[in-house]
Amino acid sequence: MAANYWDSTQAKHFTYTKSELASLRSSLLYNSNNNNNNNANKHPPLPETRHLAIYMQTHLTKFARRQTNIRQQALATAQIYLKRFYLCVDLRKTNPYLLMATALYLACKMEETPLHIRLMLGEAARQWPELGVSETGRLGECEFALISTLRSRLILHHPYRSLGELQGVFGLGTEEQGLAHSIINDSFATDLALLYPPHIIAITAIFLAVVLRPTGGLPAGLAAHSSSPAVSSSAAQSALAGFGGLKQSGPKLGKLVDWLAESKVDMEAIVDATQEMVSLYECWEGYSERAVREAITKMMREGAVK
Amino acid sequence: MDATPYAPQRHINDHYDIVGFISSGTYGRVYKAVSRRTPNQPAPVVKHPSGRTIEAFAIKKFKPDKEGAELQYTGISQSAIREMALCTELSHPALIHLVEIILESKCIFMVFEYAEHDLLQIIHHHSLLPRTPIPASTLRSCMYQLLSGLLYLHQNWVIHRDLKPANIMVTSSGAIKIGDLGLARLFYKPLHALFSGDKVVVTIWYRAPELLLGSRHYTPAIDLWAVGCIFAELMSLRPIFKGEEAKQDSKKAVPFQRNQMGKIGEVLGLPRKSEWPLLQAMPEYPNLQTVSMHNPSVNRPVTLQKWYRNTIVNSNYHVQTSPPPDDSALDLLKKLLEYDPLKRLTAEQALKHPYFLGADGTGKPPGSDCFEGLATKYPARKVSTEAHEIATGSLPGTKRSGLPDDSLLRGPPQKKMRDG
Repeated sequence: MAANYWDSTQAKHFTYTKSELASLRSSLLYNSNNNNNNNANKHPPLPETRHLAIYMQTHLTKFARRQTNIRQQALATAQIYLKRFYLCVDLRKTNPYLLMATALYLACKMEETPLHIRLMLGEAARQWPELGVSETGRLGECEFALISTLRSRLILHHPYRSLGELQGVFGLGTEEQGLAHSIINDSFATDLALLYPPHIIAITAIFLAVVLRPTGGLPAGLAAHSSSPAVSSSAAQSALAGFGGLKQSGPKLGKLVDWLAESKVDMEAIVDATQEMVSLYECWEGYSERAVREAITKMMREGAVK
Repeated sequence: MDATPYAPQRHINDHYDIVGFISSGTYGRVYKAVSRRTPNQPAPVVKHPSGRTIEAFAIKKFKPDKEGAELQYTGISQSAIREMALCTELSHPALIHLVEIILESKCIFMVFEYAEHDLLQIIHHHSLLPRTPIPASTLRSCMYQLLSGLLYLHQNWVIHRDLKPANIMVTSSGAIKIGDLGLARLFYKPLHALFSGDKVVVTIWYRAPELLLGSRHYTPAIDLWAVGCIFAELMSLRPIFKGEEAKQDSKKAVPFQRNQMGKIGEVLGLPRKSEWPLLQAMPEYPNLQTVSMHNPSVNRPVTLQKWYRNTIVNSNYHVQTSPPPDDSALDLLKKLLEYDPLKRLTAEQALKHPYFLGADGTGKPPGSDCFEGLATKYPARKVSTEAHEIATGSLPGTKRSGLPDDSLLRGPPQKKMRDG
């Protein structure tokens, strides 16, 4: 478990193939639509999936950094709890803001940095006026639902640990390290954590960081800015191109490629994860926070009428 | 709109029949149960991952965090969250097996495989007059299994932090099962110092000297000290360092445990810089000097050697039928009750100690049945059957230093449980 990812509940119960994820999600939609035959309109449409993921990722990050000073590890844990939860429960039947607050509340306890339930709810209500919940009992009830749905499998393995371990191996500088860290933070807006072991995500982030940094394509401070992606889409694209030809092959990149060739790391997974990140950054360019917020508000309102 | 369309998938009373009440503690209550039988259907068979059938269950019901006229969700305690998460994640033959967790009507039920005995109960049985020693083979197997389970925990970055005889279960087939992970926690790169989370860990008699001296960054070595205390207790049938706990004062400052430190000092003498180089860095080091003023006998310690000899002599071992452990036991004990946590044996080192290897001449480590070759049978766990409904009318979660047990009692069914 904590020492061995391969024996963990994360590896055994919460790692999927892409087609498994797709069929889980489509059966969720199918079931909810069929259970509501009395309602002619059925459920309101969901916001675009990727944009929704970016919305949740950026909102949680803002909440954690600016309002409650929640540590990155607890934030990451909360994000995974939400992803797992929404594989079992249709988003449209829930109050996403309450779920976000509850996931953070539980994750903080799990990562041994607890916040009081009242504080958590108060801050959440301040951050998200749409929350509409003022009794702590509702958050406590939601915690029960969350734990029950996750079947008490709450211990997680994050890529940050692999990043820390590999930093020395690849001789990463502070900037590359920081960039890789931010790319991992961004990865929580994708399905990568449900698809691959943490070290794959860490190596992907390192790869992207090493390829991108020497090109200087990064505006300073962008990576540190919590609600923007760490990497611009065009830079990410060029990184992907670099994968094949390794045009910018610097000494560090060469070392990384050699290491990967000798290791037993699943290269196909790395390539795919890199592609996922690149398309995330593409998608991010067309992202409008307002559109998603309005879609969620509409969804919650129509859900309430039902 | 509703937050979550939550309804529990399983109901505790649909699946289990409560046989009786076992015990209560700071965490809540424990009941013995069997699979539910209905007139038409045989009870479902629940299997352990290893394939054996689980005959009986121990159901731990977490008691409420707060008392109030109306039941409501108040947030699950950190302790319950830890235990739920760790028991779900971990699996080892020397660890109590979790069957399932049911969250229902604001209560948490953790369903474990039942164990007939625990080390405290076995110690009590042997201390009944006429006192008889725990046979050397049982002792050796108990310790070996305990250390194997502990090695597994430590390899997985888990410190137990509450090892004591009552928390170590023994099945009727002689297998040791470490239980009660309510204080256990992961220690891989903690975000905060371990100390800042729980100011007080480990029951006082089993608390390691570095904890008594206020160490902020303790290690798995604290579990090995507790194992040393348990080892001694299994031999002498009484706690080796039976001190009195100084209670926390109103200012919430953690008091120096002078009495407990004195009890350790009576046997081992007080720790010295020469044996424990980092001793002076301990926050309570200045207080250490005050121990001998209150308890002068720490200046003429018994020594572990003499404690061991006295124990062997007074334990009614019988050379032919029940010989005492050999002197490698003393050596192991000394190395577990080592003041300096850096020098104290690790679980891995302890398992390789000669005590476990050569003693019976076979060179093989002890087996996984600590009752092997015993003629005597230990009495079964006491289960009170007077009132045994599992009432769901209380709140989830608990703090380790929770309410007195009676505060749980609310209605007539629970009242009967107290009487029983």
